[in-house]
Amino acid sequence: MLNVEGLTIRVGARAIVTDFSCTLEQGRITCLIGPSGCGKTSVLKWLAGILPPAITADGAITLDGQPIVRPHPDLAYQPQSDALFPWLSIAGNAALGLEMAGRSRKAARAEVVAHFGAFGLAGCEDLYPEQISGGMRQRAAFLRTIVQDSRFVLLDEPFSALDAVTRLRMQDWLCARLEASPRGVLMVTHDLHEATQMADRILVMSAGPGPLVADIPILTPRESRTEAALAETRTLLKSLLLET
Amino acid sequence: MQSLRHILPTLLLASALLLGWQLYCMMSGVSALVLPAPTEVLRALFVERARIVPHALSTIWVASLGFSMSVLFAFAASVALHFSPWFQRGLMPLLVASQTIPLVALAPLMILWFGFGLLPKVLLVILVTFFPILISLLSGYGQVPQAYLDLLTSMRAGRLRIFRRATLPMARASFFAGLRISATYAIVATIFAEYAGARQGLGIYILTAKNSFRADLVLAAVVVSACLTLLLLGALRGIERLTEPGHRRARHAER
Repeated sequence: MLNVEGLTIRVGARAIVTDFSCTLEQGRITCLIGPSGCGKTSVLKWLAGILPPAITADGAITLDGQPIVRPHPDLAYQPQSDALFPWLSIAGNAALGLEMAGRSRKAARAEVVAHFGAFGLAGCEDLYPEQISGGMRQRAAFLRTIVQDSRFVLLDEPFSALDAVTRLRMQDWLCARLEASPRGVLMVTHDLHEATQMADRILVMSAGPGPLVADIPILTPRESRTEAALAETRTLLKSLLLET
Repeated sequence: MQSLRHILPTLLLASALLLGWQLYCMMSGVSALVLPAPTEVLRALFVERARIVPHALSTIWVASLGFSMSVLFAFAASVALHFSPWFQRGLMPLLVASQTIPLVALAPLMILWFGFGLLPKVLLVILVTFFPILISLLSGYGQVPQAYLDLLTSMRAGRLRIFRRATLPMARASFFAGLRISATYAIVATIFAEYAGARQGLGIYILTAKNSFRADLVLAAVVVSACLTLLLLGALRGIERLTEPGHRRARHAER
């Protein structure tokens, strides 16, 4: 279990996030929503240990009760864009995290190539990012994140660059992938539909600095969620967001 | 076929220019001592070929040596400046100021300080070509998307690893653009250094021809110098194509 307590983030003297606390559980998807500029991405970057030096942050983070230093091998981060390096093949890109963790290029490649079928990328091993579709690129980015074998995954609007149909397909696909290899997921999103469809829990951030506006658990399993229930949650989220 | 279509506009314009020049010389009655026609320049080049070739070889040797050393120094300096922002802030204004020193002042000084050997010429080429390469590298280093840096940092990659895996590959295109600019300067700088004082080279050949009022020979040397620049640019293009990463090769293959 990953615990964040009393996180405050400042840009110069201005606080953009104050007193943010949350708990992430293994095998559950938590969505972080809030108005633009409320600091969602900053929270995610703080967790990943990649906040720029100009932004200061103060807060406690523990993993199973133990304080951790970040970047941490149990926290894999995926930026908003797929961030595939154009000069690396898809296999090379997918293997990047493993290589950074100390595996040889050959071993890392062999390990990721074994997952290409499951990620819908069979035959793309030696292609380059510009040669495949947006959805495939996103799957390659997920593969790069998932193979790192971290217990928690931090996703920054992973579907924002995709068209509507690919987006819906990818949401279902990611849920299925996470069921096959469960991780604790914290996903930043702007899309209420996406949040209600995918999340086990939704955290709503306020527009100004302040603690969470709401922490909404969605207990119904994803496959049994009815459209009426989803719409009800979306209405609730919408009113919460408009209020903030 | 594609490359022919690519260079066709240049060929046509160059031909039109040469034709205009030739017609002007034929019709205006201008003295060949002042403005020789292109055909006379070509004839001079053919007649003088045995004399020009050793000079041209000397020039290309000095230019290539100076240029290669400049690339090495510029790369080393770019890495040092990239990893030390303090050093970069301190040194960049000085480097920019150094570019304002006129070549006409620098070339005689080099001869004065280092004699008529290889060293002053190579130094002059380095001084002239170093800056564009350095700037292109530093600008390339600055083009890495933040997402790449974030991604590698989150994977616990150190600064050196980030440099090797993202910053350096990202700077490749910019580096070659800087090389192409510098390559054209390299030949000009060599000729200038030779002009200021040398035993061999196109610069000294041009000086001798000028002193004998042989405009045709001066222009013949200009043609050779242009060919040398094209040769250097062609060699760079070859290196760029040979070392290009897979995604660029794949792009070319698709065309």
